[in-house]
Amino acid sequence: MQGFLLGLANGTTCLTFCAPVLVPYLLGEGKGVRKNLLTLLLFLIGRLGGYMLFGLAAWATGSLLLGATAGQGVLLGLVYVGLAALLLVTALRRRAPVTGACALQTGTGALQRARRWPGAVPVGMGLLAGLKVCPPLLLAFAGAASSNSLWGSLTLFLTFFLGTSIYFLPISFLGAFRRVAPLRTIGQFSAAIVALYYLYAGVLLVVGGLQ
Amino acid sequence: MTTSARALSGPPRLGVWKGLLLWLPIALISALTPLQVLQSGEVGLFGLAALIAWAVFNTFFALIFITGKTHRFRAVLFILVAVALPLEFVPYMIETYGSMMLTEATMLSSGASFCPLTMPMILIPALFKRVVIFPGELLPSAAHGAFSVMFIVWVGSSLALGRGWCSWGCFYGGWDELFSRIRVRKRPLLRRIDRRWIYLPFAVLLAIVLLSALTYGPVYCEWLCPFKIVTEFQAPSSALAIFQIATFVSLFIGLVVVLPLLSRRRVQCGLFCPFGAMQSLLNKINIFEVRIDTEKCSKCQRCLRSCPTFSLDESSLESGKPLLTCTKCAACIDACPQGAIAYHIKGTRIGVRPNVARGLYLYPAMILMSFIGAGIFTSGLYRVLKLVATGSMI
Repeated sequence: MQGFLLGLANGTTCLTFCAPVLVPYLLGEGKGVRKNLLTLLLFLIGRLGGYMLFGLAAWATGSLLLGATAGQGVLLGLVYVGLAALLLVTALRRRAPVTGACALQTGTGALQRARRWPGAVPVGMGLLAGLKVCPPLLLAFAGAASSNSLWGSLTLFLTFFLGTSIYFLPISFLGAFRRVAPLRTIGQFSAAIVALYYLYAGVLLVVGGLQ
Repeated sequence: MTTSARALSGPPRLGVWKGLLLWLPIALISALTPLQVLQSGEVGLFGLAALIAWAVFNTFFALIFITGKTHRFRAVLFILVAVALPLEFVPYMIETYGSMMLTEATMLSSGASFCPLTMPMILIPALFKRVVIFPGELLPSAAHGAFSVMFIVWVGSSLALGRGWCSWGCFYGGWDELFSRIRVRKRPLLRRIDRRWIYLPFAVLLAIVLLSALTYGPVYCEWLCPFKIVTEFQAPSSALAIFQIATFVSLFIGLVVVLPLLSRRRVQCGLFCPFGAMQSLLNKINIFEVRIDTEKCSKCQRCLRSCPTFSLDESSLESGKPLLTCTKCAACIDACPQGAIAYHIKGTRIGVRPNVARGLYLYPAMILMSFIGAGIFTSGLYRVLKLVATGSMI
């Protein structure tokens, strides 16, 4: 219950941390409300994975991570770079010109893989977003670190996740505007801008951490 | 003049007497500023600057009414305002802070002047977190542009003009206008620009709103504003600040100088400015618009070539409507040889009494320009007069 209330109380902050990734992505995909809900679910599953990883780390290391500033900076920087890469995939991905096998043959590397496994990008984004250190997550982290058991730590993170997830649901209604064709272009452009921001912030954190 | 000859003469001309009569209320309203200055005892250089500003602005306002040409004269005033801004602002910065480069401490102590371009970034944190994330002043004082004043001016002008702000109220857009009107070659070098770029301002708007809510900082001012180099910026005390300044310089040279020179369009205003994108959305609630009389239109496409903000395309000629991004600058109205384009009040019939709609639109537009623009021009001119008289602008 403590984790759920914590999530509920801080959900808007979590939303502002995840919205720069999620909103351009959903707009760039240009899907309807139902498909957006599915994408959101994949994002949230990824985010849950991120929280669980964080919860495990909290349980395993106690307060060790909070003290290891340089290592934490590098890790966070890498998370940012990862998010930037996924957003760039969204920005550069073009609408498949034809359906079927031919559509899969266009594009190379990451873009092609993203097309083959469309769920990989939202899950990956969710995972990285879950690993991003935001103030509410640090609160949950502090609570989990003080827990004596693995189960207690994981439960706190799970309930925290549920509490914050409620605030994400309205984002899927962006799909109601999918007939406004320019929104897809706007989503892709903004994904590129946010990606540049995360790339810059990530590189700064990694370089700062390594020094 | 025969009917057909009149039809090919462009926007309708009112004639001298009718034009002067329509101009008179604007002349009287805008005279309030120089009168206020003179009443306060400022009969020196500042009073002289205020009188000259009033005379210059009103000469052009009168010409707009008399000749029927709006864009031609509006653009001159718009450019004058933009050029006057750094003439006034930079000496003010040097007077107050010793430099146009602000230290981080000054920024954090609310020393920065409030800029309307920050409006989209501050609205969400202000609404949901009740925090104004710009380190500016809330109430007017000695500093320029307090938040409260700018907010009131923005709400009022948005209701009255929609995106007309971008052609009548903005004190940066004139730079774009200036470089887009310099003729280096007979034909622009950059003629075809992918239409998708017109959505970039909306993407910049979305990105900066989301990132500003995330970082609690004005992301656009910190990273993307091309006009920082003609106003104020953070001192280059760190590698980060140097990188930021390099970004501002690059954006100014690219978007405000080079691309407008090559394309003869206001590239920064039309393809980048997030404030313009927000004003475009406000066009929806504004009663004034520009409309094309499709029956009169000969599809010569002069309007398409003359639109400085990429707000007209072939579909506009079919539908009779410019795109949402129209800044109501009247370039297309002036350019149309058929007189088929005119200001229009939503809900009224197209082509019926276009001069009434034009007059009703021009009044608030000119009042906005005479208070914001002429105010800036007065201060800029005062600095120049001071330089001539005393050898220093400070």
